[in-house]
Amino acid sequence: MKTHKLFENNSHTWLMFGRDNEKLEKIIDSNQYMVVTKNNSLLMDPGGIELFSAMLAAVIKQVPAEKITHLFASHQDPDIISSLGLWDQALPAATLHSPWIWESFIRHFGMENIKYDAIADEGGEIKLEQTTLEYIPAHYLHSSGNFNVYDREAKILMSGDIGAALESVDAPLFVDNFDEHVPKMKMFHQRWMPSNEAKNDWVSRVRKLEIEMLCPQHGRIFKGDDVKRFLDWFEGLEVGLTGKKLAEKQC
Amino acid sequence: MPQQEVTIKMENVIEDPSYNYFVSAAVIAAKLDQATHIAKQLSLTASNARAVALRAGERAAGFRPLTDFIDRLAEITITSSKKINTMAATLSKTSATKVIADNVIKHFDLVFEKASESPFISSLDNVFTKCKIKQENLNYQYVRQIDELSDELSMLSSELRNAVILATLSRVEASQAGAQYQDALINVADNVEGAASKIKAHIKYSQKMVSTLQ
Repeated sequence: MKTHKLFENNSHTWLMFGRDNEKLEKIIDSNQYMVVTKNNSLLMDPGGIELFSAMLAAVIKQVPAEKITHLFASHQDPDIISSLGLWDQALPAATLHSPWIWESFIRHFGMENIKYDAIADEGGEIKLEQTTLEYIPAHYLHSSGNFNVYDREAKILMSGDIGAALESVDAPLFVDNFDEHVPKMKMFHQRWMPSNEAKNDWVSRVRKLEIEMLCPQHGRIFKGDDVKRFLDWFEGLEVGLTGKKLAEKQC
Repeated sequence: MPQQEVTIKMENVIEDPSYNYFVSAAVIAAKLDQATHIAKQLSLTASNARAVALRAGERAAGFRPLTDFIDRLAEITITSSKKINTMAATLSKTSATKVIADNVIKHFDLVFEKASESPFISSLDNVFTKCKIKQENLNYQYVRQIDELSDELSMLSSELRNAVILATLSRVEASQAGAQYQDALINVADNVEGAASKIKAHIKYSQKMVSTLQ
């Protein structure tokens, strides 16, 4: 599991964990993000059960356990939060922030100690000392209850499955050629994202945000002009496709 | 046919060293649930026997006290089977929790190995100790529950030995009851023996499973 520093200023740091070359073959590689302030940390989409020990080992190299005070799950998928039952034992005083719609489902992963903070459909924010992070609604992209995390100061948007690409574990961290990157993410967005209406609504809201890095949960990070390229591409993409129609649209 | 198939498969499964112990406990609970149903049939047999013995009158006078014993055997078997069923269900729950606790420790061990150089590694000591205590408590509970289950199975098994004596005595008394009632009373004896034999098979199977847990 590799660790990369994406941003740092006086108040906080963004770290990315991923490219785990010890992961099992049939498990999708995933990116985990963590915002660290002086006394707190928010670990975003901490991953599946299989990833837990690698994740905790990576995180504990950066901060002590008692400083991991908050977890965030953008939605309910197993690659996002099936490790919860183990985090629950490791961080008994932590709070999990996740869509209200998934509370009774996510608890199935095991939650004896961790507190659940249900995020309302309209979103909200979390303050870690001087740092404010916003929950940006991204419902139906792809999950019916889904949020991104936006840091206005760092200009980083943790976009969950939006912008995700299926890549090998040795793939570079950032998109370096947008056109060459498109085939790696096209089918994923067409098949996994169910709603053109939800997609276009998200694009129009996100266009108003100042974003230097768009950080998906799988694949590479979009940086600088590639963020706008991604939004333009995503806006023009027809999603919610299966079968013959999906196959036709691959050409 | 499906019942036989399941039994054969389960026998194979027991031999499999990777077979999870919490599944074994759940299988024991299911087996004893079947035993409870058979014991209820035994209770019905006792009621029928009482009715036949009454109709046979004086000629079946020796049979009537036996129906009380059949009743008692059925009652003991139902009570004990229910108890074992509950114990096995609790054991299954403890086992599943133990699997999770063992898993947590395994993950922690990997973290301690992978992050041994981390300046913050000792920050996990407290939670690790708590998890370790939890695991030890669960181990203790698990062993105790297996012992209790094993004792209860042995107790029920020895009670069921009386069924053979009851069946033999029933046959002797049936032969005194005259041609009209003889077949019905012999049938009672067969039912008692058959039910006891089926329950004993479930107990033997469960005892074998318990021995794999110990």
